[in-house]
Amino acid sequence: MDENKNLAPETLPQELFSKAEFHEELLEETGFSNYSYWRSTIRTFFKSNVVKVIVALVLIMLAYTVIYPMVTDRDPYTASLSAKEWNLPSSREHPFGTDGVGRDIWARVWFGTRTSLLLSVAVAVFEVGLGVIIGALWGFYRKLDTVMFAIYNTLTNVPSTIYLVLIAYIMKPSVFTIIIALVATGWIREARWFRSRILALREADYNIASICLKTPARRIISRNVVPHLVSLIIMDAALTIPASIGSEVFLSYIGVGLPADLCTLGNLVNQGRSAFLVYPFQMIFPTLILCFIMVSFYIIGNKFADASDPKNHL
Amino acid sequence: MQKKIFEAKDIVIKFNLRGKTLTAIRGASIDLYHGETLAIVGESGSGKSVFTKSFIGMLDKNGWVESGSMVMDGVDFSKYKTEKEWLAVRGKKIAMVFQDPMTSLNPVKTVGEQIREVITWHFGVKKAEARKQAVELLRQVGIPEPELRYKQYPHQFSGGMRQRVVIAIAIACRPRILICDEPTTALDVTVQAQILELVKKLQKELDMSVIYITHDLGVVANVADRVAVMYAGQIVEYGLSCEIFKDSRHPYTKALLRSLPQLGVRGQDLHSIKGSPPNLYKQITGDAFAPRNPNAMKIDYLYEPPFFKVSDTHYAKTWLLSEQAADYCRQMEQQEEAEDPIPAPPTDFSAAEKLVQVKGLTVNFKLGRGQFSAVKNVSFDIHRGETLSLVGESGSGKTTIGKAILKICHASGGDILYKGKSIVGRLSSHEMTEFRKNVQMIFQDPMASLNERAKVEYIISEGLYNFRLFENNKDRQEKTARAMRSVGLLPEYVTRFPHEFSGGQRQRIGIARALVIEPEFIVADEPISALDVSIRAQVINLMNRLKRERGLTYLFIAHDLSTVRFISDRIAVMYKGQMVELAEAEELFAHPLHPYTNALLQAAPVPDPDIERNKKVVVYDPSVHDYADDPPIWTEIRPGHFIRANRAELDAYKKHLEK
Amino acid sequence: MGRYLLSKLGQAIVTIILVMLVVFTLLRFMPTAGYFSKEQWKDMTDGEKTAYLRNMGVLDPLPIQLKNFVGNLFHGDLGRSTVLYPNSPIGGVLAEKIPYSILLNLISWFVAALFGLPLGVAMARKKGGLADKLGTVYVVIIRAVPSIIIHFFIQVFLSKWFGLPMLFYMDQPISWLLPTFSMSIGSIAGYGVWLRRYIVDEENKDYIKFARVKGLPRRYIMWRHVFRNAIVPIAINVPSDFLLMLSGSLVIESMYSIPGTGGLLIKSIKAMDNPMVQVLVLMYGALSVLGVFLGDILVSFVDPRIKLVDSND
Repeated sequence: MDENKNLAPETLPQELFSKAEFHEELLEETGFSNYSYWRSTIRTFFKSNVVKVIVALVLIMLAYTVIYPMVTDRDPYTASLSAKEWNLPSSREHPFGTDGVGRDIWARVWFGTRTSLLLSVAVAVFEVGLGVIIGALWGFYRKLDTVMFAIYNTLTNVPSTIYLVLIAYIMKPSVFTIIIALVATGWIREARWFRSRILALREADYNIASICLKTPARRIISRNVVPHLVSLIIMDAALTIPASIGSEVFLSYIGVGLPADLCTLGNLVNQGRSAFLVYPFQMIFPTLILCFIMVSFYIIGNKFADASDPKNHL
Repeated sequence: MQKKIFEAKDIVIKFNLRGKTLTAIRGASIDLYHGETLAIVGESGSGKSVFTKSFIGMLDKNGWVESGSMVMDGVDFSKYKTEKEWLAVRGKKIAMVFQDPMTSLNPVKTVGEQIREVITWHFGVKKAEARKQAVELLRQVGIPEPELRYKQYPHQFSGGMRQRVVIAIAIACRPRILICDEPTTALDVTVQAQILELVKKLQKELDMSVIYITHDLGVVANVADRVAVMYAGQIVEYGLSCEIFKDSRHPYTKALLRSLPQLGVRGQDLHSIKGSPPNLYKQITGDAFAPRNPNAMKIDYLYEPPFFKVSDTHYAKTWLLSEQAADYCRQMEQQEEAEDPIPAPPTDFSAAEKLVQVKGLTVNFKLGRGQFSAVKNVSFDIHRGETLSLVGESGSGKTTIGKAILKICHASGGDILYKGKSIVGRLSSHEMTEFRKNVQMIFQDPMASLNERAKVEYIISEGLYNFRLFENNKDRQEKTARAMRSVGLLPEYVTRFPHEFSGGQRQRIGIARALVIEPEFIVADEPISALDVSIRAQVINLMNRLKRERGLTYLFIAHDLSTVRFISDRIAVMYKGQMVELAEAEELFAHPLHPYTNALLQAAPVPDPDIERNKKVVVYDPSVHDYADDPPIWTEIRPGHFIRANRAELDAYKKHLEK
Repeated sequence: MGRYLLSKLGQAIVTIILVMLVVFTLLRFMPTAGYFSKEQWKDMTDGEKTAYLRNMGVLDPLPIQLKNFVGNLFHGDLGRSTVLYPNSPIGGVLAEKIPYSILLNLISWFVAALFGLPLGVAMARKKGGLADKLGTVYVVIIRAVPSIIIHFFIQVFLSKWFGLPMLFYMDQPISWLLPTFSMSIGSIAGYGVWLRRYIVDEENKDYIKFARVKGLPRRYIMWRHVFRNAIVPIAINVPSDFLLMLSGSLVIESMYSIPGTGGLLIKSIKAMDNPMVQVLVLMYGALSVLGVFLGDILVSFVDPRIKLVDSND
């Protein structure tokens, strides 16, 4: 900055000491700030190089998991009858090697990733969706407090893994079962979280203003409340994805997960584990992909949470 | 002149914010003399707080002192780098009191502990001795039963009492300078007066110099020996208190003093400062105030003025004081020599239709398992076309009354009539629509009252949509544009989001939102108290103009009597849920009867040092009323003047009025 | 204070009852095969099976079953195992296993606090510093990677590198090392990340700034004000940490063949031993509720404001 520009010269022309034009319209611009919530959120989010790299890698991976199963001619379920094809180490033909019955692990990993991602996205959608809707009702109708807190205490005081195991155990193993089990144990936390957000939003003056203007409740929710929750919803969904994949792995381990013949990351890791001491690569490769997905979504979710907080828009 | 004990010179402070560097303090200097009280006055964003925080190394992490020096006892603090170096300064040499006493104390430690730790740390005395000193300090700051209070936690203290504790901690090490950063802004007016009194007393006892940071010129008039006015990160004028109040030279100081609502004349517009303080992201050239000064000179836009001397103690940073500007000043003076405006006579609205009738209103809230009456048996009428002000401290129930009239909170007892029809209880859908269309609200906090995620266009059109007050989209846009223009904003701004506007602009958007559906009655809940001093006049003028043009009726809620005097037709005073006095505005000021009204009137700071200096603090003590056998009733003591008093008191008041 | 505790106690009791109801209802949907031992299942005819079930009371309406179960509970009768320990009283089986689990949980919790709290302080002390960065990497890995995988690698690699036993033996204290380590790493990360967050939050509070203005040294403020206040929400979370550990112990006990209750739950689920599952789940539920209640009591000691305010939040 050039500080000297402000300094007056020794002698000043007399002409300057006369009335200047006054621009009233321009005045209102003096207080104007060009802050924008979403722009600042996105900018804060992408400020870190780690995030840039991770987002790029996740996008590439997502594209690959979508495209690969469509274009490949390799079937991840075809076992080979020839023992020569069994337990092959990594090669050009089989980048991740083959498993105990000669199935290509590379293909299995990407089909598995697709299943696991679809599953976790479904869980995220239902869990967060249910959480938002119930949380909104809970926040708006105080009468629900007693009932909801009873449900909340019942579901959260017992470790959710126990409920998870129980439900998965009672129902037949299927993708549907896992989704139900995960949503059933997860929705209440989301609801509680959104309730507290909504309680804070509900009391806001602009909602009272809307009530004074007789704005229908439906529009108050859609225009005044939900837009403030969008960033929270995104963050929550991003964090639910790794959590669901993790739960799937856990259930597979316990033996109440998805049918063992289905390709999922949980099953792959679990099957690799049994052969780990002899053929470590059978577990290592799926685990690496799994960890990559988990860590990236975890980081993306958390970084987005930070970025969406206006306090961090520095 | 007394000994100079502290000198800050050419301080430049910068901040890193959102990836940009902004200069918060652009070369400010200040001297502080032994035993004096210096007030630094400025609006939010003027940098007054940042400037003084730098004296004790308390800048936020993203800020730093770029250049300049701060010298006390021959040591330059500005060279300090580490927290350790500052320890020698903080508490011992310079102490500070923060704005909000509710957050200044650690909630999980006893008050006594928090005082004792300072004494133990600084003087290294034994625990028992430190405890004794701490109790003594509590006594010194006027806390009753200090032994008992020592063991209590902050949540067991009221706001005023907490601020006393904070002050006790600040003076625990006998600092030579006490910085008070808006120490009374978060407190009620009557408590404010007591705290100011306390600081004065302590200043004498401990022989300290005090720096006040405040936006309230009334407080300044009360406490300051000298005043420094800050604008956009610079000190623009400083001098003795009387010099600033009676003979200010900088156009900003002048405009600020003239725009005070306390000085308003009924029926006239307040002198207002247009626009908002500058955004410090932008490079400022010349006099920062020039763009808002209708009489700025060309040079003001080009070069930053130096300080010109007015007297030995009075300096101002404006080109108007340059010899070359003498001619221009003369011109200006001639223009200004208009007659003093005569206050319009108060209008009598008692014959007008009773728009709102409140009859025995009681509002109860659940509090834990118990109940708490926010409003107890309050009755009054509002006539069409008048402005009725409800004045009271926090917790007096004034806002609750407003909300009950708006049907936002439920009346637990009594009745509210709007145009003769009861609005308590369920209304038919049609009646409700009619009611909502006619009764609107203006909010206190412009930051909280606009939905951040909606464009201004939606915010203003909200009422139009709800009541289908437009024929087609074009019609709606025209109506929105007209509403924007009527509150002095450009119609093009409707595509922006609220956060792009300043506080005053947002408040006007809030007004436009309420007015676009053309209501007839408006509840204004402290519409100016969250605004900067220079912005308040704009909003008050706007509200008055709309009242004249559209025949609006206002219920104006405020906490300070003096600011509502000139805009109110009638004023009602609330105390702890009860209405204690109601009268025509000038009548109330001329003949305040209730002791609480008197206390409130006395406590309200007036921006005139002569008045403030000789003021006595009146503390209202509800136990003066003996209501055991003779319960108070709401009585019209003389036409239009109501008071809550019992028979004995009424007789006394009547005698007083006859005198 | 008394009322606060009473209300919390009431809440705990209501919760236990509700948990019991839910678990009971859920268990009624379990395959009935779980009520028979393998031989019985093979040998009995359908009619016999129904009679057997009716005899056990499994076909009674839910409220009656619940009443019977609770009644038996008060007499110390937890029912009998079917598959895992055919016909042995569950109470006896548990009495053997409970001490292992409690011991393991307590030690792990202690280790977690011992390392987790200093980790949090170290991370918060210099934001963006080396300790903070390393700590963050640790936290991200521990929290993002499925714990089973981590536990598995710990078991496989650490035992190899340090020559530690891969399974648990009661009489070899050294064999306790890996399970305890596995169980505590998650909680260490939890304590670290939460304490760091609370400390950072506290440091931005006005009263901490005011404490600095008072002229108190940084260290003193850190311990007597910041840490003192930041530990309050940690105290609230102690019981839920315990929950986390309980669920961790399910896997770890079965991995290291620890004869505790966690491993037992997994085993009985795999073996479909219904009465066993029922008792274990209820036991875990009751323990957790007790933990939450203890946490509430704990908080009332650390936070003076609790004594006055009753609130659900």
